[in-house]
Amino acid sequence: MERKVLVFDPYRCTGCMYCMTACSTYNEGNTSFSKARLQIFRHEGHALTKTNEEDDLIFLLIACQQCEDAICSGVCPTKALKRDVSTGAMVINRNKCVGCRMCLMNCPFGAISFNLRKKQVFKCELCAGDPQCVRFCKVEALKFVPIEQTPLAKRSRTAEKVKEGLMEKVRNVTYQGG
Amino acid sequence: MGMPKGYAGKVAIINLTEQNAQILPTEVFYRDYGIDPRLWLGGDGVITKILSKDLSGPVDPLDPENEIIIATGPWTGTAAPWGSRTMLGCLGPETGGFESGSFGWVFPAVMKYAGFDIVIIRGKAKKPVYVFIDDQTIFFKDAAHLWGKETGETVKAIRAELGENYEGEIRVLSTAIAGEHLVPYAPPCADGTSCPGRTGAGAVMGSKNLKALAVRGTGELAIDNPMKLLDAAQHACDIYLSDPLIKLWQEHGATTYLLTVRDARVNGNHIRENALAADFPHMNNVGCLNCPGRCYHWLQIKEGPYAGTRQLGGHMTFFYTGQENLRLDNLEALIYYERVSQELGLDPASFSQAFNWAVECFEQGILTEKETDGLVLRWGDEDLIWEVMRRIAYREGNLGELLASGVAQASQKIGKGSEDIAPHVRGKPYLLKDARLQALVWALGFLTSPRGGDWLRCHNVFENTFFAAHSTNQKTFLKYVGKTSEEVYRILMDKVDIPMDLRKRMFGDPPKVDVEWMRKPEGKALITVWSEDLVGLFNSLVTCMYGATGQYLLVGVGPTTFSEILNHITGWNTDYEEVMRIGERVLNAQRLLNYRLKRWDREQDRFADKRCYEVAKTGIYAGRKVPWEKALDEYYQFRGWSERGLPTMGKLKKLQIEDLAEGLEEKIEGGD
Repeated sequence: MERKVLVFDPYRCTGCMYCMTACSTYNEGNTSFSKARLQIFRHEGHALTKTNEEDDLIFLLIACQQCEDAICSGVCPTKALKRDVSTGAMVINRNKCVGCRMCLMNCPFGAISFNLRKKQVFKCELCAGDPQCVRFCKVEALKFVPIEQTPLAKRSRTAEKVKEGLMEKVRNVTYQGG
Repeated sequence: MGMPKGYAGKVAIINLTEQNAQILPTEVFYRDYGIDPRLWLGGDGVITKILSKDLSGPVDPLDPENEIIIATGPWTGTAAPWGSRTMLGCLGPETGGFESGSFGWVFPAVMKYAGFDIVIIRGKAKKPVYVFIDDQTIFFKDAAHLWGKETGETVKAIRAELGENYEGEIRVLSTAIAGEHLVPYAPPCADGTSCPGRTGAGAVMGSKNLKALAVRGTGELAIDNPMKLLDAAQHACDIYLSDPLIKLWQEHGATTYLLTVRDARVNGNHIRENALAADFPHMNNVGCLNCPGRCYHWLQIKEGPYAGTRQLGGHMTFFYTGQENLRLDNLEALIYYERVSQELGLDPASFSQAFNWAVECFEQGILTEKETDGLVLRWGDEDLIWEVMRRIAYREGNLGELLASGVAQASQKIGKGSEDIAPHVRGKPYLLKDARLQALVWALGFLTSPRGGDWLRCHNVFENTFFAAHSTNQKTFLKYVGKTSEEVYRILMDKVDIPMDLRKRMFGDPPKVDVEWMRKPEGKALITVWSEDLVGLFNSLVTCMYGATGQYLLVGVGPTTFSEILNHITGWNTDYEEVMRIGERVLNAQRLLNYRLKRWDREQDRFADKRCYEVAKTGIYAGRKVPWEKALDEYYQFRGWSERGLPTMGKLKKLQIEDLAEGLEEKIEGGD
């Protein structure tokens, strides 16, 4: 199976957080922000500034990166975290997890959470290969793409900027000449 | 009775006088108030029931006895599309009657995640306070240092002092300057972003010494069938996004859609063309929770007198009222207008109508420089407009004090014929200064709206699309939508989720697309009735009326789809007829409540502005009078109401609300 990864484009995100409500609904059967496997972090600058103050509005994603050399797996005393070879996700074996939170403490991204009711950790496991966040991201800020394609969007955007810069230069040259 | 899934499970009753809060299971609360969730859902339905029980007679809206009710519905906070909304209700300071408004962004969902379906605020604090709902714990906090702060500053200060773990964890509904000064058209604002704009509840908060309500919610909502809900939600979203008109909306939000489709222009261009040609600086469109339609523009003005202003908005009401009532004609000023309204907490419709009325009075010599503190009132003068807004919010000087009382009261105070040109119905101004310019179905809604002269309870996509087919914008429509507006109207007629026999009665068979037909009052009230019932439904679910009564219908997503989604959330088996009946029930109950409180009947279903009854100069009624009375007759008939415009016992029985007629001085007999 082609190895796919979750990618996020902050320039496309509209902050609707449908990814989070869909994620928690699918994975927990209940809807919440707190049990969503991925979290959108919001900078709501607009609401907080006075007229004329500089501020920005941007949304960012924190979710499991499914690291190739995953620290969570390494520090797990019961070896409950294993890679699912079909999806590429690091998944938690519910029968083995003892709720020690060692993975949660050591994850460099803060992508693992603890469920107080179930007394176990939880994280993004890519919904068995059909990530619900991607399904409900109608602006394609979240995509599930073959790993080779990960940098393509950014690369083409950079190329677009370079092109604009070059064209500006070219135009200026033309004007000077004219 | 038992509460179905989709509800958060608790109701908080906050008493500001006693500084205590009572937390009840929703099931117990609903039982005490005789609310069957399947008959009333939540939102407007529940607010109407609560006010009907709590208030036996008229109450001054700024008296501690008035209450603020924030009522979500089973839809709120779930994975259903447009899951962000809640209703906020009270007695309205502009009218003294029933009042409610919808708001979204993230506050309503978080309130439900905190465990609360409904939050009721009663009494009056001795000094300024704000209330913090931290999941199931409720705190009363001193707000002396927040009093006098603008909307955004308040949000920022509260979030900082409550120590949120990350930005936006704590959601804040606050009142601002105008609310503190009891301006009857001051709305509260959620997270400095989304306001129940027409409620005047900001003034009610001000009267209670309540600066804000903050909430943090980390809990979960149980769903009856999560997988089917997700499937149905995705299906609805995909249909929605498949339509080019919707795509235009999705990409460019309210601003561009409006200006493109209406062919309105600012700076001589459609905004979209500005955006393309001049790199108009909006980074992206932004939406409330679960919104595939996203109507907020992230606007940043780079040049000119307003350079540096940043505003998340670009909403229709500001553009409509700014252009028509204030005669602002450049985009930067329109954005600034929205920003100032939000910071001070002023409703754009009521403010702009008050301003517009004042200019008319000034031109006619009814108001002089003595009443305006030396200001020369005129339209389109940007600096003057900002100054008047500020004076109103602070109730500064004669003019500030006068206009801060709202156009209805101000005109009564001034007299001299100014009452006869005051643009309101039952104390509440409508959208644009000349009601006759607007179409019959739409404007009939001003007369029959449960909250006074307001257009949002009869928001109908039919007329908008119909008139697009007859406006001068055929080229722009074709350019941006890829279809002519007449084609779009015909597709709407074909797809709209209304049973075929009713559809034929509403729009003709085959559907008519000629102005002569649209001018005739016969049958038009049926469109008003249907549209109002739909709004009653969506405001009780609660979901976004804007998308739901407008955009959704265009692509055939309607009450049937919504009943399916509701069923997956709750486990019920509702259908089109049952959910539309809910909307109708809510509308009838609101009519009864207003009759009980204010004795509103046909007599009050009238424009105060006498010019509305004269021959129109422009619009589809140019050269004629608008047949208001005939349309009202038909409206009451379709509603099953008496000639006085009151629900009959027969109608009430059919809607299972005959108990609401109890205690009315006059029982209304007859009906179907």
